[in-house]
Amino acid sequence: MDRKQELFNYDSLALFGRVNASISHELKNIMAIISETAGLLSDLSEMAKGGTAIDPDILTGSIDSIAEEIERGFTTIRQMNRFSHSVDIPVGSTDLMEILDLVGQLCGYLAFAGKMRIHPCREASPVVQTSPFILQAVVYQTVAGIFKNTGPDTELDVSVQLRDDASWRILFDGAGIKAFELHAGDGIARMAASIGVAIHWEPAGDRLEMTVPFSI
Amino acid sequence: MKILLVDDERKFVTMLARRLELRGFAVTCVYTGAEALKVVQDGAKFDAAVLDVKMPGIGGIELRRELQQLDGGMKFVFLTGHGSDSDYSVGAREAALYLPKPLKIDDLVDILSRVTGKNPEGGH
Repeated sequence: MDRKQELFNYDSLALFGRVNASISHELKNIMAIISETAGLLSDLSEMAKGGTAIDPDILTGSIDSIAEEIERGFTTIRQMNRFSHSVDIPVGSTDLMEILDLVGQLCGYLAFAGKMRIHPCREASPVVQTSPFILQAVVYQTVAGIFKNTGPDTELDVSVQLRDDASWRILFDGAGIKAFELHAGDGIARMAASIGVAIHWEPAGDRLEMTVPFSI
Repeated sequence: MKILLVDDERKFVTMLARRLELRGFAVTCVYTGAEALKVVQDGAKFDAAVLDVKMPGIGGIELRRELQQLDGGMKFVFLTGHGSDSDYSVGAREAALYLPKPLKIDDLVDILSRVTGKNPEGGH
């Protein structure tokens, strides 16, 4: 089996589908706001034709709202594009901060997700040679798993540190992480193992640590 | 007709409420399931609740069950940005009716009138 087939199996496809479903939900919400705002403008237009005076501030507010939602839509599509292209290179140079940034954006589309705060890395740029999509999938599922257990009010602090001369570590700190459990059925463990990533979780603590090797 | 509108998308709620009010509905907007429960626990009465299925905290399905216990006469319509078959089956089973987003205002008005057996008062 070649490396591509080894990495991109059903677990990958399933994750790809889940993330796309959450993005489509976000886009539908955006379209719903634009649709209702346009509908309100249509209602007001009909009223104006009938001689009712319309407050210009309502019109301005509605137009601004449409513009804001279009911008939100473009931002969402940009993230969707980043996510989609993360499968282009099976294994390559991957910046951990970029992975975390995209995961933070994608998790923002989950109704149950809390706030993810990504702290800048104090050391040199944390770049590894790995599969960007698989690493992203592991981080995404880990963060989603934490939020699923802790709820939307949780704040999660995420930072990257040099662990040793062969690996970086990504630290997830926040109230309630002690409730996190790795579900073997989710495929996280399999995906993590396929790129040499180890996930350490201390039930007594409030921290989850992910070790990412410099190279796979 | 009194409507409780519950959705975490604030702009969507605001716009939809304005459009329903123009059609003669009295609309109370809240943005979480917890707020919806508090409004009803505090004694407010509604002919129908329009609930988003996916919300942070208490989702629409669970919220419907809790609201039903507080007010057995309230009718329910679900809204969702998800268009999957599983959502539809849940909506069909749990609520009077289910509408996918983006929705058509006339469809919502028809459904509300149908499930409550009432018509909105006045309106433009």
